[in-house]
Amino acid sequence: MLSLVNATAQRGGNSLLNNVSLSVGAGECVVIVGPNGAGKSSALKALSGDLTLQSGNVYLNDTTIGQFTPLELAQRRAVLTQSYELAFPFSVTEVVEMASFCHQEQCSKQQLAHYARQAINEVEVNHLAHKCFTTLSGGEQQRVQLARVLAQLSPALEPSVIAKQGTPYLLIDEPTSSLDLYHQYHVMSLARAAADRGAGVIIVVHDLSLAASFADKLYVLKSGKLVTSGKANEVLTSDVLREVYNVDASLTLASGQLPHLVISQQNQCITQRT
Amino acid sequence: MLALGHVVIEREHVRKGLIPLLVLACFFIWLAALSIGGVAVSWSDIITLFSSAQPTSLQQTILFEIRLPRVLLSLIVGAGLGVCGAAMQAIFRNPLADPGLIGVSSGAALGAVTVIVLGNSLFTGFTNTLGLYAVPIGAFVGCLAVCAFIYRISAFSGQFTVISLLLAGIAVNAIVGAFIGVLTLISNDQELRDLTFWSMGSLAGNHWALVLPSLIAIMVAIIGLYRLSQPLNLYLLGEAQAKHLGLNVNALKKRVFMLTALCIGAAVAVTGMIGFVGFVVPHLIRLIVGTDHRYLIPGSMLLGALLLTASDLLARTIILPAEVPIGLITSALGGPFFLIMLMKTYKNMAK
Repeated sequence: MLSLVNATAQRGGNSLLNNVSLSVGAGECVVIVGPNGAGKSSALKALSGDLTLQSGNVYLNDTTIGQFTPLELAQRRAVLTQSYELAFPFSVTEVVEMASFCHQEQCSKQQLAHYARQAINEVEVNHLAHKCFTTLSGGEQQRVQLARVLAQLSPALEPSVIAKQGTPYLLIDEPTSSLDLYHQYHVMSLARAAADRGAGVIIVVHDLSLAASFADKLYVLKSGKLVTSGKANEVLTSDVLREVYNVDASLTLASGQLPHLVISQQNQCITQRT
Repeated sequence: MLALGHVVIEREHVRKGLIPLLVLACFFIWLAALSIGGVAVSWSDIITLFSSAQPTSLQQTILFEIRLPRVLLSLIVGAGLGVCGAAMQAIFRNPLADPGLIGVSSGAALGAVTVIVLGNSLFTGFTNTLGLYAVPIGAFVGCLAVCAFIYRISAFSGQFTVISLLLAGIAVNAIVGAFIGVLTLISNDQELRDLTFWSMGSLAGNHWALVLPSLIAIMVAIIGLYRLSQPLNLYLLGEAQAKHLGLNVNALKKRVFMLTALCIGAAVAVTGMIGFVGFVVPHLIRLIVGTDHRYLIPGSMLLGALLLTASDLLARTIILPAEVPIGLITSALGGPFFLIMLMKTYKNMAK
């Protein structure tokens, strides 16, 4: 279990998180949603140990996160952030193989190269493997970074490793923001697949249709506070959508289709043509 | 962002071939530098002199007491400048960064100028007691002191960030520049001449007693930095990302800072200021083998050694029997190179 317990965080007088508790267990895919500035990314940063909390705690498999060294943490959880600063001409394969760093004492070079290749295949960037990372489009860069993160997670997903150090976790911040329709669903299903293999997955995403399609559990945040949580059909009700997003909308659930959001034409957010 | 060489060519065989090629080139430049000069020593004589203990001859004295320490110094200082340049460009995540940013050059200059101008008036007989060592010791101490000061300021809030390091570096370099200006103002003609020559750099007149300590210090720093190649790769992804991959980012920054200060301090102390090698060399190697520091650092080390030794050979033979300060040669070559790089980058950005 990776959990945030009664977390409160501030920066420069602004409250980022206000007594937020949330958790993700093995095999679970949890999605955090909420409007801009709701504290979604802050919650994820707190869970990955990047955000100092004024009060509250983060537990990773029953140990407070501060007790792990960066290396130990990296062996137990992989994080995909929103933005990357990489401006030096590494090749795609080189970027993905950086994931090997934290596992090189436990795994052989061949194994690690195998994990990297596998991740490159999974996110379907084989054709880019020898290209220079900085020349890729935004969406391609995002997928390469995801491959790196999956390659970091893979060794921790081996049953023998899970038995030794517990459930590994995958934390992803807006993986779909610059992806096309196909890859939005593909990337989310990869995250879902990691959960099916035994990881605890926690994703921040804006697209509520995507969130409803892949989440076992949704957390809705607004202004640093937890509004509600639960299964998609229980949480994404018209009332909650109006309260949180100020939008009149509802979730459609038809058999044979993934859930998606239907937005009413009469809405404050839509400028009416006169 | 200025980044160069965005084409990833088939690098595997280039990488494998480059290191042996550079080693070979270094060996030949080493031989050439030993043999060419005011008194020519042929290659066969060099081999004879190395292999047998002949009675002291002029050639032997020139070879072992003058050229060998000088060539070794140029190899190791060039290697150190190249490696530190690569490490600094990584730490600042900017291909234009330079060890000067962390106060190495200004600190060494302050130390050297203080010894040259104030040495004898502050401590009677100071330069006489220490003799040859006075200026190098001053430069080394000054370098470490200014680096330590910049480090302290940039780590003031408990966070050692690149931006605070950059800002502290710029501010402290400016302050130190003012001190140097004041000392220059009160210096007499001879001191001014010493000072000017020191600031242009030279590999001349160094004896084993001076060369050996620098050799050791620079070698330690190069090995230390090479062992950090993989962390440096990770660091280029971004600080948060490197941390998520299991890297202790703060420890890395501190280690690179200290090793660079040690290496450049030891180099500048004996040779004076030698510009642009640390900037040009990593660029060239990056164009050939890419950004992976496991190749970039050894490549920069060898090319740095090669370039500085070649420049020094040029510096001491071009206007025989006099000598051109080596800093002039490296800057005269490095300056235009810098401009070409800059224009190329702007052209790429305009596309």
